[in-house]
Amino acid sequence: MNGLEGVFGLTGLVLWVFAWLSFRDRDNPHRMGSAGFWFVLGAIFAFGSVLPHWVTGLLVLAMVAMDGAGQVGGRSLGGRSAEIGSKPLGLGYRIFVPVLMIPAVTFGTAVVFRLMKLDANRGALIGLGIGAVLAMAAGLVLTRSTIQVMMEEGHRLNEAMGAVNILPQLLASLGVVFTAAKVGDLIASGIRYAVPENSLFLLVLANSAGMTLFTIVMGNSFAAFPVIASGVLVPLIVKPFGVDAAMAGIMTLTTGASGTLVTIMAANFNVVPVALLNMRDPFGVVRFQLPFAVVIWGCHVLLLWGLIRFV
Amino acid sequence: MPEWTKLIGVVIIVAGLALKLRTTLVVAAAALATGLVSGLPLFSRAGQEGVVDMLGRGFADNRLMTLFLITLPAIGLAERYGLQEQSAKLILKFRAATVGRLLIVYQLFRVLHGMMGIRLNGHPIFVRPLIFPMSAGALPAVSAGELERIKAANSASENYGNFYGQNLSPVQPGVLLVYGVLTGLGSPVSVWSLVFYATPIAALSVVLGAIQFHLLDRRLQGEDAK
Repeated sequence: MNGLEGVFGLTGLVLWVFAWLSFRDRDNPHRMGSAGFWFVLGAIFAFGSVLPHWVTGLLVLAMVAMDGAGQVGGRSLGGRSAEIGSKPLGLGYRIFVPVLMIPAVTFGTAVVFRLMKLDANRGALIGLGIGAVLAMAAGLVLTRSTIQVMMEEGHRLNEAMGAVNILPQLLASLGVVFTAAKVGDLIASGIRYAVPENSLFLLVLANSAGMTLFTIVMGNSFAAFPVIASGVLVPLIVKPFGVDAAMAGIMTLTTGASGTLVTIMAANFNVVPVALLNMRDPFGVVRFQLPFAVVIWGCHVLLLWGLIRFV
Repeated sequence: MPEWTKLIGVVIIVAGLALKLRTTLVVAAAALATGLVSGLPLFSRAGQEGVVDMLGRGFADNRLMTLFLITLPAIGLAERYGLQEQSAKLILKFRAATVGRLLIVYQLFRVLHGMMGIRLNGHPIFVRPLIFPMSAGALPAVSAGELERIKAANSASENYGNFYGQNLSPVQPGVLLVYGVLTGLGSPVSVWSLVFYATPIAALSVVLGAIQFHLLDRRLQGEDAK
């Protein structure tokens, strides 16, 4: 069996346990909605590769409907029990062992994949699954706790984050629709219409602005790059001005990172952490990153223009 | 329908977020509306992919984005048995440690991952279990407002290191994407020249991050002195 599918199946199983724990939690006013939500997500994880896409699509809409109706949520104390109810047990620094095992195994598997000339990023994902299982085992041995307590702790963290967990995947789906509807081509043609073709500085500015704008909309600079490269960068800058394509290309991609830093459409980077850390301000991460994003964006424009103009 | 109506999805997102509607609902509505005005069918027919099919395909193909859920039981258990307290204790052993310095080191650590060709999401595996409790523990007393700022800075350190560090290896997907797209457009490049030109921006990101985290330290100290 394919290793990544095994990890997806295992994640589905964990989600079903979370669904069961939600269902059994009689103090949770939204226990049915929450149980249904995590059960469906678990099913998509386990069977996403074999289900017809339209079935998965309907399941996704069902999850959105459950959340939209306000039926997904935990008890209001979610996420707090570890902070108030932890029992040090005199384990000292040994408590780091299970937690460090996850990145160590993730990293180790990626390196092994690289050495075997396989895809290292796929290795990292499979390693994340193996590392998580080993960490659970190590944690149980170390704390002499039970599987039930461990799953309840995982469930607590999961409920504290809630339906936000599915946003990255949902936004990726939106990206698929935007691509099919050619929203990017529309933005690129708007830029070509607005900018005079002989002004290098304005072209560089428009290229950077278009890349960043489209990244903000898509939440992903990888989706924006092909559109901007084919609509603006190559036909209007690289070819007419004889520019080093590698230099202009990679800098256009990293200009997009400024967009990723300021958009909540990049949910896995800017929204999931808000949930993971129980922040009060949903835009807290984006707000902190905004000045950095603006400064490095300006540097990109000046550097790219300067390198083309003077080098 | 005129071309520009396709932007309705963007309008729905902006309006929905401004009105603080439920994000999942807003995103799904934006997808359905964009598909509808672009003349895409709801379900696949006659060889044309439907919007519901696209939603399912995008969701299933991107399961790896949510794979971190599998780490929650182990992290939750460790938190129950004192992970956060131990992290705070550890950081207090380093006299020179401040939140800002910790985050500068963490950003460099993530840039290093990028150079080694490893791309991972550090928010669940590093920031929540380790970096956050260490940051909070580095200060003698933390107010709610300070804690909120520290949390935001923790996440930013992860994102800066991840985004700008990941182009420093020729096997990274961003580098391969630029290589593939430019070659396809008739401007062939080498992956090594892409890595070469990614270096100045990566260096700049480390410097700018260090400045911002240093300013955070000054601000936190200022608030403590009051």
